[in-house]
Amino acid sequence: MPDLDHFVLAILQSLVLLAAAPLVSGLSRVVRAKMHTRHGPGVLQDYRDLRKLMIRQDICPPAAGPAFRAMPVVMMAALLVIATGIPMVTRFSPLSACGDLITTIYLFALVRFFFALAGLDSGSSFASIGASRELTLGVLVEPVMLLSLIMAALLAGSTDLGAIGAAIASGQVQSIMATVLAAGAFAFAVYIELGKLPYDMAEAEQELQEGPLTEYSGPSLALVKWSMALKQTIVVAWFVGVFLPFGSAVDFSPSGLAIGLLGFVAKIVLIFVVVGVVENSVSRVRFRFTPRHSWFGVGFASLAFVFYLVGL
Amino acid sequence: MTMIPSLGGLAPLDLLLAGIAVSAVGGFGSLLLRSHDRAATIVAGLAGILAALAGLGAALPSFVAPPSVLDVAGPYPFAHFVLRMDPLAALMVTVISLLALTAWIYSLAYVREYAGRGVGAMGFFMNAFVASMTLTVVADNGFWFLIFFEMMSLASYFLVIFDQNDEAVSAGFLYFVVAHAGSVLIMAAFFILANYAGSLDFAAFRTAKLPGAVSSLVFVLGFLGFGAKAGMIPLHIWLPRAHPAAPSHASALMSGAMIKIGVFGIVKVAVDLLGGGEVLWWGLLVVGFGAVSAVLGVVYALAEHDIKKLLAYHSVENIGIILLGVGVGMIGIASHQPALAVLGLMAGLYHLINHAVFKGLLFLGAGSVIYRLHTKNMDQMGGLARTMPATATCFLIGALSISAIPPLNGFVSEWYTYQSLFAAALDGSALVKFATPIAAMLLALTGALAVMCFVKAYGVIFAGDPRGLRHNDVVEAPPTMIAGMGLLAVVCVVTGLGAPLIAPILSSVASATIGAQAVSVAEGASLFGSANHGTVSPPLIAVLVIGMAGLPLGLRAVLSNRGTPKPRRAAAPWAAGYLPDAEMAASAGSFAQPIRMFFRPLYQVRDDVAAAWDKVAFAFERLVCFARQTEPRWDRSIIDPIASATGSLGRRLQVVQGGDFRIYCLYIVAALVVLLALAAR
Repeated sequence: MPDLDHFVLAILQSLVLLAAAPLVSGLSRVVRAKMHTRHGPGVLQDYRDLRKLMIRQDICPPAAGPAFRAMPVVMMAALLVIATGIPMVTRFSPLSACGDLITTIYLFALVRFFFALAGLDSGSSFASIGASRELTLGVLVEPVMLLSLIMAALLAGSTDLGAIGAAIASGQVQSIMATVLAAGAFAFAVYIELGKLPYDMAEAEQELQEGPLTEYSGPSLALVKWSMALKQTIVVAWFVGVFLPFGSAVDFSPSGLAIGLLGFVAKIVLIFVVVGVVENSVSRVRFRFTPRHSWFGVGFASLAFVFYLVGL
Repeated sequence: MTMIPSLGGLAPLDLLLAGIAVSAVGGFGSLLLRSHDRAATIVAGLAGILAALAGLGAALPSFVAPPSVLDVAGPYPFAHFVLRMDPLAALMVTVISLLALTAWIYSLAYVREYAGRGVGAMGFFMNAFVASMTLTVVADNGFWFLIFFEMMSLASYFLVIFDQNDEAVSAGFLYFVVAHAGSVLIMAAFFILANYAGSLDFAAFRTAKLPGAVSSLVFVLGFLGFGAKAGMIPLHIWLPRAHPAAPSHASALMSGAMIKIGVFGIVKVAVDLLGGGEVLWWGLLVVGFGAVSAVLGVVYALAEHDIKKLLAYHSVENIGIILLGVGVGMIGIASHQPALAVLGLMAGLYHLINHAVFKGLLFLGAGSVIYRLHTKNMDQMGGLARTMPATATCFLIGALSISAIPPLNGFVSEWYTYQSLFAAALDGSALVKFATPIAAMLLALTGALAVMCFVKAYGVIFAGDPRGLRHNDVVEAPPTMIAGMGLLAVVCVVTGLGAPLIAPILSSVASATIGAQAVSVAEGASLFGSANHGTVSPPLIAVLVIGMAGLPLGLRAVLSNRGTPKPRRAAAPWAAGYLPDAEMAASAGSFAQPIRMFFRPLYQVRDDVAAAWDKVAFAFERLVCFARQTEPRWDRSIIDPIASATGSLGRRLQVVQGGDFRIYCLYIVAALVVLLALAAR
């Protein structure tokens, strides 16, 4: 069981991340506007959007059952739980009982389960195609995530995300090449998981009318949009916590935490700017060609595996 | 005989036998009352419930107790009637009894579906089936083990062919053939063991000294024999056909309990009787078969429209996951890492229990839907969450559990399986280091596919609008059926959240089976595989998810305006301006279409195998045809000439036998002369 300090930090980082998530998605919009050489809305626009949706009427389709109504709540709750276990500001997982790589992957499966089920429950054909694609992406991405993280875990000797990050930061891992390749494969998987171009398959606005979100409106839509921004922030934080933990706090000293926080924010902003540039310079992959791309990730992870086996 | 104080001062095995006697009375009673369906149902059901309670009463105290043995001098010197309740047997009896208990409660209403079609006989075969399964796992003599094993196969065969239609009869025949092919292999394994042990008693098997190669031969025979019963790929062909054909509560028992006896048999032969062996490839073989079964099982499940077939293929998948844990356990034994051995076997046994519970629950849930709609085709269901809310909730819990969603039980046992694979990869030999991370990756693939499959199953059956048939008159399942499902749903939650209390017990079962030191796998509310290898706490996750759910609810309440109109339902989902109809909604086929596209080679393999079976069948036809053509050829070339030659010879000889008395006398004289001439020489 965690002591109070850890527990408070865990809850705090999860809540702050929730509060900051619309800022991160706002940043993406600003970058997109810059890439299009237009003014675009300010970085706070997503907060205004959420506020506006919150006061609208909630309309649900006639077929919708309990799964449709429960999804926005379950999705946000599960994401907040994932956020408690990931090392962000600190080098250790604040709540190691939720900060195991297997637990994190399967908690994301919980999110996916309800997200897709709500799509089916809405009775809309667009939503069910989105649901089917969301789960298919999960099938293509999860093995890559697991294999790359297991490689890092084997090098660190523990499946705890904090322990892996600490081992990488302190240079204890013997096989540099394997670590770098595992990081590459994991970054690729995380990028697909972000749901941005060229892989915005499930919630493609132009193609599927936002997939499983099609039938949501008002406060429910606000919660789901907010959760999706939170999810994007969490998966990037996940990558940062495991493979780029440099500069994070090793204990609870105020200066260490402050530096850790600054470093974390800088890394997140930098990554999202890069992601924004990539996102706006490519076009969507045809859905049926996604496996070719995910094989690339599998290849990377397998290469890491080979390097790990020979100990390079 | 060791006496263990348990319920009413009875030794566990006495209690167990008393339960089996009650079950026998109930079974024959049900058969006698076969003309009164209701009475037969109640007699069979009550006897079954009592027997299951006795089984639980006998097994639960035996988890941590030293083994108790009941030895009755058998009818023949080689067939001592020995029963042994050791921790592993206690675990199996618990699984069987728990599932039997819920299946019997469920059956009180469910068998009305079969009214007038031999309910009495069904009660008899169900009782025989449960009793023979129970006796199989406690038998401690090869002869009696095989007898009970055969009884189990036969009783379940009659349940499979219960519907008497073409599909049921042909599925039953396939099951019959595979089950007996497996039995022959097991028999061969036992006879080889008996040859070295000098007796068919398992006690003698355990101490027998076998040369390495013979030991491996026994293991492979046992692995394939019991693997056929467990339904691992490629010996699974009978499973997706036989399980759906049986009545749903029998399917629950077959999928939940009977195929576990296959796994139990593998553990029994490899770990208990042969001591785990000294060679690494046993464990690697089990891991390999496990990983392939897991992935292919779920891939094939995804393509199914028939809900019971889908569930049956998932049994193949879960047997694979169980075998992963068992295989790691065997690797641990062979490489002299007792902690790894206990962790792996514990993970396998935990998943064994969990799969029994959630698969039983899912089959019962499917049975409830079939009971109301009279179809197994998912594309004709849909929207049932509104008309059957209790069934839908139970099925959802089962679906979340089987998809390994935290913090339910499927997640806990898969987490331990991952941890055991991880521990094996950390300090293994090169081959183990190579194989176990791949197995872990395949397990992740399996998990993601299982999520997709159960979103599809729940979504197509219970969510959205009714598809195909309109069924507005559907009502909730009867109370006893809900009680049966509800009990299993509660057990799903308890075995998930209660993992910190349950895992140490299973660890002690695994260590007792291996004969190693107990290994600590949980502390406080946290679970861990090995020290410093990462932890997880299912109860904490549950508390956090429920607590965090307050935040979105609160945000919605605080941020939404008082002036906002009340939520309402729209007239129809948006369909790009077209009028939506049921044909547009996702079906079981369209939802899984991307997977069918991306994993086409794997389906191709199955089709190729099916084609190969067809080729075998075709070759057999050709053989028959050839034999038919050959028969006249033999006639023409051999039989006919001989016959005609004999005829013509006869006709020629008729010249000699002309019928003239005088010529006959002449023959006699000639013979006399010849004889005299010979004698005079």
